[in-house]
Amino acid sequence: MSTQRVSNEAIAVTERVHWIGALDPTMRTFDVILKTPNGTTYNAYLVRGSEGVAVIDTVKAERADQFFARLEAVADYGEIKVIVLNHLEPDHSGALPELMRRAPQAKLYISDAAQLMLKALLNNNDIDYIPVTTNDAVSLGDRTLRFLNTPYLHWPDTQCTYLVEEGVLFSGDVFGCHYCDEQLFNDRVGDFRFSFEYYYAHIMRPFKRYVLSALELIEPLSIRLIAPTHGPILRDHPQHYIQRYRELSTPRLHLEMDRDIKTMIIFYISSYGNTMHMAEAIRDGAAEVGGFRVSLYDLEGGEVEPFIDLVEEADAILVGSPTINGDAVKPVWDLLSSFAKINVKGKVAGAFGSYGWTGEAVRMMDDRLRGLKMRVPLGGLRIKLIPSDEELGDCHRFGHDIGDFLMGKPRAREIDMSQL
Amino acid sequence: MAKAKIKFADVNVTVTVPVGTRIIEISEKVGSYIAYNCREGDCGSCLFTVLDGAEHLSKPSALENATLFAHFQQVLDGWRGAADMASLQEMMRRENFAGKVCRLACQTQVFGDATVAP
Repeated sequence: MSTQRVSNEAIAVTERVHWIGALDPTMRTFDVILKTPNGTTYNAYLVRGSEGVAVIDTVKAERADQFFARLEAVADYGEIKVIVLNHLEPDHSGALPELMRRAPQAKLYISDAAQLMLKALLNNNDIDYIPVTTNDAVSLGDRTLRFLNTPYLHWPDTQCTYLVEEGVLFSGDVFGCHYCDEQLFNDRVGDFRFSFEYYYAHIMRPFKRYVLSALELIEPLSIRLIAPTHGPILRDHPQHYIQRYRELSTPRLHLEMDRDIKTMIIFYISSYGNTMHMAEAIRDGAAEVGGFRVSLYDLEGGEVEPFIDLVEEADAILVGSPTINGDAVKPVWDLLSSFAKINVKGKVAGAFGSYGWTGEAVRMMDDRLRGLKMRVPLGGLRIKLIPSDEELGDCHRFGHDIGDFLMGKPRAREIDMSQL
Repeated sequence: MAKAKIKFADVNVTVTVPVGTRIIEISEKVGSYIAYNCREGDCGSCLFTVLDGAEHLSKPSALENATLFAHFQQVLDGWRGAADMASLQEMMRRENFAGKVCRLACQTQVFGDATVAP
């Protein structure tokens, strides 16, 4: 653990921009899900124009002392005309109520979607704010802040703010990482790629589609420096980080193979081969439909992480598990619980499995798949013990029906709600 | 209990349901493309289109109308100027949205036969 003393000086980023954030070198677990071996920073910035000062983002409430000390080193509260929050998560909005108390004349600028969250986060209905979206701008005299609406990176409220005259992009959590080094700039902190990639994989990856939309707004800008809310300020080759986001967010399979061909993946695990035989019959039924790829994988033969990469690129995912002690088996839950790392919403899904006594696993998997907002066209297929020829026929039909559904030609069905 | 037939055109499934059932309770179980998030009428993501039988669905509440209004204002560029639902609907009519009835699946209840799609 670092014991380095931290001075409370503001750090010049450009001629008119100062970093006034906070260092948190002892943080080890962020937001429950993220690890960091050297802590994080909460980056906030102060922009000075000829007709006033803007504060871009604040810090976590527990680190507000650093933020206010640095702010006071470069500006008086009375000069603050504009406060911008690019993202309302508490690690960036924590010092906002106190800042607004100290600078009551300042106007708060947030995204349209942030309005719904502001009151719930601050539990205060009297906050005055101005909602903004792409191309809205606010002038500080000889400096201009222009807003970019970049939702779902990684909350509905997220936006970026561009300081036009200096080419500085205040990007919020985009291009950020949990990495704490008081050298602060990417050319001075050493190799932090592991942290940058890890942050993307856990925070931005489920929102790739929105990353690509945001890049459409960001890439045309003339950017000299990226100022994110966590980790190093990117002043050396900022374009490199934009390109990396583009690479990480572009679907890989569609670059390498015929982009119009869909993919179905069937995962299974089997103790006596019964669920495996079901999987094979389902695969054969699906293959009969044709026009898409079908792959079969035994969960016993691989690790979860590469399977998640496959799932991310696939259009349909079927999962088969036996029932043991009234539940699906652990490798299946390991796989299904990892679906939260990617976006599976809207993918076609289905569950199946052989069982000995009770067969709860299939319905539990169905519930999980539906809970993730995957499209589950058919209730899961359960077969008691060893599938008979007739039951293998049911499996074949199950695969065929889901294949038809995937290809956009679902068989017409009339059912009663009690069957669902 | 009285029953009604609701057809999801995108997945070619017709489901017989007890009168009063909400669309979302069925759509998520038949794999329809109708998406959803909050299920509370707040986010607007479960928007769907009524193709037939709009008169057999529950009337939109004030909450649903407000969310639909906010949704259209947000997603349709340049339509942020509309002052209220009526003027927004007028704008939509001009932009060839004529005849389309959009509702929220988490709010809309089935009272008689209807056909819906995302």
